[in-house]
Amino acid sequence: MTTFEKLQHAIATTLNVPATTITETTTAEDIAAWDSLGHVNLMMTLGQTFGVLLDVEDFSRLNSVPAMIAFLREQGIE
Amino acid sequence: MQGDVSVLNSLDGYDVARTIPNFEHLLTIGTLAELRAAVSHSGLTLSLPQVQQLASHAQSLEPAVCSLRLGIIHTYTSELLDPWFALAAALHGLHLQTYHAPFGLSLEEARADSALVKHQPDLTLLMLRREDLHPDLGKPLVGFSSDRQEELETEVLAQVCGLVGRFRMQEVGQIVLTLLPPVFSPDLGIYDAQFERSESTWWANVKAEIGRCLRTSMPASLFLDLDEVLLDIGRAHFFDRRFWYSVRFPFGAEAAAEIARRVVGIGAVIKLPKAKIIVLDADNTLWGGIIGEDGINGIALGPDYPGNAFLDFQRRLLAYRQRGLILALCSKNNSADVDQVLKEHPHQILRDEHFAARRVNWLPKPDNLVSLAEELNIALDSFLVVDDSDYECGAVRQAFPQVEVVQTPARPVDIPICLEHVARLEVLSLTVEDLAKTEMYAQEQRRRELHHNLEKSGAPLSEYLSSLRMNIRVGFNDSSHLTRLSQLTQKTNQFNLTTRRYNEQQIEAFILNGNWLVAHFSLTDAFGHSGVVGLAILHITTPAEAELDTFLISCRVIGREVESAFLHALFRHLAGQGISEIVASYQPTAKNGLARSFLPDQGFEECSDGRYRRDLRKVPPSPESAFPVAVEMTT
Repeated sequence: MTTFEKLQHAIATTLNVPATTITETTTAEDIAAWDSLGHVNLMMTLGQTFGVLLDVEDFSRLNSVPAMIAFLREQGIE
Repeated sequence: MQGDVSVLNSLDGYDVARTIPNFEHLLTIGTLAELRAAVSHSGLTLSLPQVQQLASHAQSLEPAVCSLRLGIIHTYTSELLDPWFALAAALHGLHLQTYHAPFGLSLEEARADSALVKHQPDLTLLMLRREDLHPDLGKPLVGFSSDRQEELETEVLAQVCGLVGRFRMQEVGQIVLTLLPPVFSPDLGIYDAQFERSESTWWANVKAEIGRCLRTSMPASLFLDLDEVLLDIGRAHFFDRRFWYSVRFPFGAEAAAEIARRVVGIGAVIKLPKAKIIVLDADNTLWGGIIGEDGINGIALGPDYPGNAFLDFQRRLLAYRQRGLILALCSKNNSADVDQVLKEHPHQILRDEHFAARRVNWLPKPDNLVSLAEELNIALDSFLVVDDSDYECGAVRQAFPQVEVVQTPARPVDIPICLEHVARLEVLSLTVEDLAKTEMYAQEQRRRELHHNLEKSGAPLSEYLSSLRMNIRVGFNDSSHLTRLSQLTQKTNQFNLTTRRYNEQQIEAFILNGNWLVAHFSLTDAFGHSGVVGLAILHITTPAEAELDTFLISCRVIGREVESAFLHALFRHLAGQGISEIVASYQPTAKNGLARSFLPDQGFEECSDGRYRRDLRKVPPSPESAFPVAVEMTT
């Protein structure tokens, strides 16, 4: 599984949406379930699934799939 | 390796990182009971998507057996607990419906027309912070004088009892009060423990007083101490300060899982059949090894490993007896071999007198369970079976899916705690009857022996009954027995005319209502005291007519004419109050066939509407002497 596929699956499960609705360019605005509650859940999921430490400062900027992938790359996950 | 992410083990001292493949295994488990056991024993801390996937998997295994309606009043974010609540509910086969009140502690929800009441919760959870209880709790407690600390304690208690009391006045189900533990350890650090105005001592006193207030004056209300969860998990892992400071959600994944498990566990205790008996295997459950092969000196049972782990498990089992559960022994062995350990082994803790019944033979376990169920008059859905063998556990699960089966862990160090997470072993109250359960079963055994001996000598049943020298004490509208009476309505299935389930608050409402009468009786005989074993609830509909809403007798005392003696004592009392007509009904269930002929046998006539009537003037009540039971009426 690529990083994107793993991320796609994690986001889809967390937000309870079909995996196909999550693409490499998806942002929070694209998904109704990606509201403020959904976003907090995604921050939990991201950290727990990839074993990376997110800080409060990261929460607001990780509001899209590209931002998350870039973040993971910064943490050494390609 | 990408994806090889460690998921922190829970704090059992090992700190062994477990990789996700263990989670994958959970998704392959095919029955809910095994999944529930596997999840609690796995020690895995699940990520949020794993929790969600597991909940879906659990829901797909079996249709929900019943619903659990949860209402939440909260002064910090509670909605983020939903995935964990959903998993805990799914694992118990409960269909969960949750109402989160708007954020804040407003008494709007404590009104009869509130959204909370409309939700009809089985369980109302109060998620409060300590600071909500009093404005002064935002200041350092240790800065107050002793006098002020005492005053503050009284004020906080009044606030808590007042608050719970307001919710208790409404139909909000079982109330569960929680207080969020503090993010910090005490203000004085390590010195607090021996400071004369210690902060932790003050809180321990307050919690004890809260417990006392709820126990003595709030029916169906429980204080769920989250400090206990903090002890289990550890302060560092309990809180996730990132979410606490950003969105007021305090819990890390482990705390969320554990709190959800305990809250839903309370729901399971309320909605599912009560666990009444733990049936224990012997070899590799109570001791290490096999008595039949290793002999009394070869089994592991003593102060060294692994025998000491088995001893700790035996100690813990004694604790479950304190909760009102009884223990039974069921083992494939020669009786003499097991007897030898129970009687002679110097370290064995569980002896003969701790078991209410035994089946030590070579019969199939399911057959033994049926035999135990008959002997003890306990339904199989109240059984919990512990056995180390894959084969035995499988055989029982297959034969009786309603029996809870816990397989003794393979590692001895895991055995002492193997029942810690079984939700149905929790109790929400304790009565005098609960504490004496095993003694009661012992008394019952002596009665059976007497009966058997008399039967053998050809004596009629009446001789057995009069030799018991039974005596019942009838009480009316007595709220000191609320817990026991409520328990009786919830546990009694066989001799129960209408099987209406009431919680303590509902019984209290009947007692306080002048148009209702709550009558109960306790039974004593030559062998001992059985406690409160019968209940009748009557609705006085007109000055001359009473309707029998509830009439039930504990299965332990059926067949001795106490049910008739009680009924006629009630009749005599009601006739003295000017009641001339009693209306009753019988609602058949799968379990109460025993009571089907009771009303006709007691002189009731069946009417066209399916109900039964008895005219107390045309068919006067029988006198006390008609039954082999002496009756004492307390007014």
